[in-house]
Amino acid sequence: MSIRMEQIQPIIDHEYAYLMAERPHWSLTKGDQDLELVAHALRVLLHMKTAPQHPDEYLALVDCQHADGGWGKMSSEKTSAAWVTAFCALMLIRGNLSLKNPRIAESVRKCVRYFLDTQKEDGKWSDPSWADLDAVSHPVSFFDVLMAVGPNLVDAPTMVRVRDSWRKGMKFMLERQDADGGWYDPEFHPTGVEITAHLIQDSIVADLVLGDEHQVRNCCQKGVMKLLSVQAADGSWDGENVDHTMDCTRSIMLVCSILGTRAQCDRTIERGLEWILKHKCEKGWPDFPGMETNLERTCDGLDTLLKYKTYSQPVTTALVKLWGYAA
Amino acid sequence: MIFLAKASEIPEGERKLVKVNGVDVAVFRQGGRFYALNNACPHRQGPLSRGTVEAAAEGAGCFVRCPMHGWRFDLATGDSNGRPANATVYAVDQRGEELYIEI
Repeated sequence: MSIRMEQIQPIIDHEYAYLMAERPHWSLTKGDQDLELVAHALRVLLHMKTAPQHPDEYLALVDCQHADGGWGKMSSEKTSAAWVTAFCALMLIRGNLSLKNPRIAESVRKCVRYFLDTQKEDGKWSDPSWADLDAVSHPVSFFDVLMAVGPNLVDAPTMVRVRDSWRKGMKFMLERQDADGGWYDPEFHPTGVEITAHLIQDSIVADLVLGDEHQVRNCCQKGVMKLLSVQAADGSWDGENVDHTMDCTRSIMLVCSILGTRAQCDRTIERGLEWILKHKCEKGWPDFPGMETNLERTCDGLDTLLKYKTYSQPVTTALVKLWGYAA
Repeated sequence: MIFLAKASEIPEGERKLVKVNGVDVAVFRQGGRFYALNNACPHRQGPLSRGTVEAAAEGAGCFVRCPMHGWRFDLATGDSNGRPANATVYAVDQRGEELYIEI
């Protein structure tokens, strides 16, 4: 690998200090917040392994959960939405691996009920803010983690329902992959880059459960090849989109590690990361080069560096754990 | 009314990002007409000035698609066609070579 850890670690330290200094702008302990930003920040705490120092942040998320088990875009919002609920649920189930708090465990059970209650007959979850494929992939990812690390959180009959629901959601995703390996939504994502990056990392776990039933490995490999083919010469994706470049870089790390195709992808990952490092602001990352820094992107940037740090180690299971797909 | 830009600064089919009273305004010139929208997409604040402009068939309007998560807005009205929020649009007043908006 041409990017050295001595180069990465000071940036991680610097950016984490910046994120913590910006706590009034993302912490639920400080007031009403955008929950997608909160979830992004909680993921950084998880991957920095500092969640045990901040149980109040996770409990504050429990405090604004709705009776139906969901959350809205803002913590003060009363209507639940699938995408943000899945992101919050993922942070709670993963955070509770170290926090072991019964209130968080009960909150996760409410999340499970929310997703079981709101899935459509065809296997999807709908969220007017997101493409159907994105809205499906996040609850599927939550169920991925639940099945991997939290089967004792719910009773056996509920777990049977979870597996059935997960299977329907996964089928919805896998059956909609295009012949070229990408996933597209004409309404939201004509280029398909971000959806494809999300779906390959959420699908790869199915390989461990479904075997050859849906040729998951083949689907994910095709998805990776699609992303490799649309990376720009400068290392970015989707018209210098920092968010989508981080999505692709992270996702390819996980999937190629599991598929055993790292040699094929190493240079793509490095080029993506080099571009990400080149376009950071003095503090944090912008949505596009030259723009002001953005806290959510900063969380994504930190997450990408932390995942690269793990990717650079030879043990694949460490990387799988970092996605929450193993205890 | 506040001065926005000179018309000649935005050639046909182009766009410009202008800060007006501390607000980032994305100005588009399409079909000889100027459109001004708040640059922040109401979804996740993606920069609409970096979006893709799309024209509807048979001259039924022009749209900009946010580069972050693909929400699409009518340049003239800000309508998002059923998404949870619309874009904020500002009426553009062209006075000869100069463009003005009210914020």
